[in-house]
Amino acid sequence: MLEGVAARSRARRLRMVMDLATVEASLLVRSVLVLAGLLAGGAVVWVLLSPTQPLWWNAGWRTNGGQLVLAMTVLAAAQLAAGRSRRDGMADLYASFPATRCTRTLAHLIGLAGAAPASLVLLGAAAVAVQLRGAIGAPSIAVLAGGLLLVIAAGAAGIAIGTRFPHPLAGVIGALMLFVTGATTHVASGAAIWLLPWEIVDDQLGSLPGPLAGYPPAGAHASELAGVAVLAGIVALALTVRSARARAALAAAGLLAVAVICLAGAMQLRPIPTAALNRLVSEVADPASVQQCTTAGQVRYCLYPGFGRDLPSLEAPVGEVLAHLPARPPQALTIRQATSLSLDSTFTHGHSQRQVSQWNAQLQRAPGNAGAATAVYLSVGSWPAGGGQLADARFDVALAAADWAVRLPLPIGSGQACVPLDQAREAIAIWLAIVATHPPAGELTDGLRGPGGGMQAAEVQNTIVQVWSPPGIDAGYLTGSPPQFTAAGYLLARAMTSLPEQKVSQVLSGAWSTWVNQRTTDARLAAALGIPMPTVPTLPGPHPGLGAATAPGPGNAPQSPQCTT
Amino acid sequence: MTPPSALPLLARHLIRTMPWVTLITGCLAGTILLAILAHVADNARQPLDQGTVRVAFLPAIGALAFVPRVPFRPLTQATPVPAWVAPAGHVLLAIPVLAATCLTQLRIMAQTIPSHTIGDPAALYPLIAQLTGWSMVTVAAAACIGRSRYADLGGAIAAPVSFAAIALAWYAPVSARLLVAPPATAPAVTVAWYAISSAALALTCAALRDQWHRYSRRLYRV
Repeated sequence: MLEGVAARSRARRLRMVMDLATVEASLLVRSVLVLAGLLAGGAVVWVLLSPTQPLWWNAGWRTNGGQLVLAMTVLAAAQLAAGRSRRDGMADLYASFPATRCTRTLAHLIGLAGAAPASLVLLGAAAVAVQLRGAIGAPSIAVLAGGLLLVIAAGAAGIAIGTRFPHPLAGVIGALMLFVTGATTHVASGAAIWLLPWEIVDDQLGSLPGPLAGYPPAGAHASELAGVAVLAGIVALALTVRSARARAALAAAGLLAVAVICLAGAMQLRPIPTAALNRLVSEVADPASVQQCTTAGQVRYCLYPGFGRDLPSLEAPVGEVLAHLPARPPQALTIRQATSLSLDSTFTHGHSQRQVSQWNAQLQRAPGNAGAATAVYLSVGSWPAGGGQLADARFDVALAAADWAVRLPLPIGSGQACVPLDQAREAIAIWLAIVATHPPAGELTDGLRGPGGGMQAAEVQNTIVQVWSPPGIDAGYLTGSPPQFTAAGYLLARAMTSLPEQKVSQVLSGAWSTWVNQRTTDARLAAALGIPMPTVPTLPGPHPGLGAATAPGPGNAPQSPQCTT
Repeated sequence: MTPPSALPLLARHLIRTMPWVTLITGCLAGTILLAILAHVADNARQPLDQGTVRVAFLPAIGALAFVPRVPFRPLTQATPVPAWVAPAGHVLLAIPVLAATCLTQLRIMAQTIPSHTIGDPAALYPLIAQLTGWSMVTVAAAACIGRSRYADLGGAIAAPVSFAAIALAWYAPVSARLLVAPPATAPAVTVAWYAISSAALALTCAALRDQWHRYSRRLYRV
C-alpha cells in the first residue's frame, strides 16, 4: 500500500513538473527576447553566407553563427525566467505553492524545449538559403546538431545563472560572455579554437576543396556542448535540492558530465590524421591528381569533385569567346580550380615541425603560385552564387580566355603583372570578353577609377599610363594577377563594340596573326576599323608626380614590365 | 530648490542607493575577461587590439543600463527633492568607475603589445569617444525606458536596446561610414561620437526631468 502511495506521489510530481515545463516552454517560445534573437540570428546567417557560392563544409559551420546569437538571447531569457521569483521579491509566495524550488528548476530545464523551435526554424531557413544558392557538398548532421545543442546549452547555463543570481544583469553578462568567446577566437591558437562555444572567424573552411575529416571536429564539439548543457542543468538543480541523497546523485552526474566535457575537449585537440592532411596537401599542390576534367572546344575544364555544377557557367563565356575567334592558338587552354590554402596551426597542431615544413614546401609548388601560368586558375570558395557578382566572374573568365586567344599572359600567381602597352591585341581581348558576356557599360567604365575615385596608373618604360581594371577583379574569382590593362586599350575596345560585330570580325580575320602580334599598335587597329583612336584623359598632377592617381611616381616603385609573349 | 545644507545628506543618500554591486560586477566582468584574453594572447604572441577592448567594455555598458533607475517614482516625485536628482547623481557617480574601467582595460591591452612593434600604435581618442558615445546612448535608453510603463524593466530593456544600437552603428553600412574607422577617419569618428553623446545627453536630461505620469495602464475591466 505504501508503495502505491509513493508511486502516486511520484506520478503527481512528474505531472506537476510536466505541466510547469509546458507553461515555461510556451513562455520561452513567445519570449520577445527569443524572437528578437531569431531575427538577429537570421540577419547574422544572411551576412555570414556572403555572395559566394556556399560550400556545405563551410556554410554549415558558418551559419551556426546565427545560432550563437539566438543562444545569447535564450540564455538571457532563461536567466530571467529562472530568477523570476527571487527578482520580484516573491520567493516566499512561491515557497507556499505545492511545487518546490527544485521542481520549478526541473520544469525550467525541461521547458528549454521551448527554445528548440526557434533554433530549428533558424537551422531550416539557413539550410534552405544555402541550398537555394546552389550549395556544393552535403550538410553534416553533427555540425547542424551542434547549433541546436549550443542553444540548449546556453539556455541551461542561463537557468543555472538565474537560479543563483536573479538580477537581470547576470543574464546580460552571461550572454556577453558567450558573444566574447565567439568574437575573440583570433587570440586563441591551434586546435584550442574548437573548444570555445562556437568559432566562426578563425578557420579556413572556405578555402578547402572538400570536407576534411576532423576539421572542424564537429562530433566531439557537439558532445562537449551536450556535456555543458547537462552540467549546467545539474548545477541549477544542485542549487535548489535539499536532500543529501539527491545532492550526492547530482554530484556523481556532474562528475560524469565533466568527464564527458574533458573527453570531448581531448578529442577536439587531437591532431588531424596525417593521411588526411597528406591528401589535402596533394589536392592543393597537385590538383590534377584529383580533379575531374572535361574537354569542350579545345578548352579543358578541371574541377574538384562535387563542383561539376559550375561547369555551365564556365563553358558559356569561354564558348562565346571561342565562337568569335577567327583562329585558335595551337596550344589548348586549361581552366582549373585552385586554392590558396595556408596550413596554419589549426591544421598542423600535433605534427612535427619537419612534417609541417614538408607540407609547406609542397604547397609552395602549387600551380597557382607559379610565376608563369599555364592555365587559368579559379579560386575555390570565391565563385559567386549568382546575380551581378556571377556576371563579373563570367566576364573575368571570358577575359582570361580572350587573353589566351590573343597570346597575352594568363593570370600569374607571383611576380608583377605585365602591361600590354599600345598593343592592339589588348583591345581585341577586351572586345572579345565584352561581346561574349555583355556586361553593363557602367561597370566597365568604373574600372577606369581607383578605389578612392581617382584614376589608376602604372609605370611602364618610364611612362605613366592610365590603367583599367576589369569588373570583379578585386573579388579574386581567378587566382593570380592578370595583365594590367590600359585605359587606352579599354576605350578602343568600347569603341569597337559600337561597330557591327560582323565588321570587326571581318577586319580581325583578315590579318589575325598581325593583330595578335605584340608590335601591332592600337592606332593601326583603329585605322583598320575606320574609327578614331579614343583619347585617354590626361593624368592629374604634374609629371613625374601623379597627384590623385593611385600609383607611385617614377623611380619610387618597380616598373611594370611590358607584355612581350 | 534644494538648499546647500541638504547637499551632504543628499550625497550620502545617493552613495547609499547607488547600485554599486551591479555596476562594479559589470565593470569587473569585462576587465577579468580581458585579462584572461590578454593572458591567452600573450601565450599565442598575438597582441590584443582595440576591438577586443570594445567587446570587453560591453558588460560595463550593460551594467550602466541599470544605473539611472528611479524606484517608487510616484512617491519620489511628491518629495521636495526633484525626482531627477537621484538618477542624475547615480550617473555622475558611475562616471569615475567607468573611466577607471576604461583606463584599466587600455593598460591591459597595452601590455600585450610588444615594445619593439614597428609603426605608431592606433590612436586612442576615437576609441574613448566611441566608448563615451556608447555609455551616453545606454544612459539615454535607460532614462527613456524609465519614463515609460516598462520602468520596472528599465535596465533589462535598455541593455539589449543599447547593444542593438551599437551593433547597428557598427555593421550597418550607412552608419559605419561615419562611425567606424576605417572607412571614416579618426577625427571624423571622434566628432561623430561626441555629437551622438551630446544628443544622448540632451535626451537623458529631457527624460529625467519629464514629469508626465504615463506608467500606469488604464483598466477597462475590473
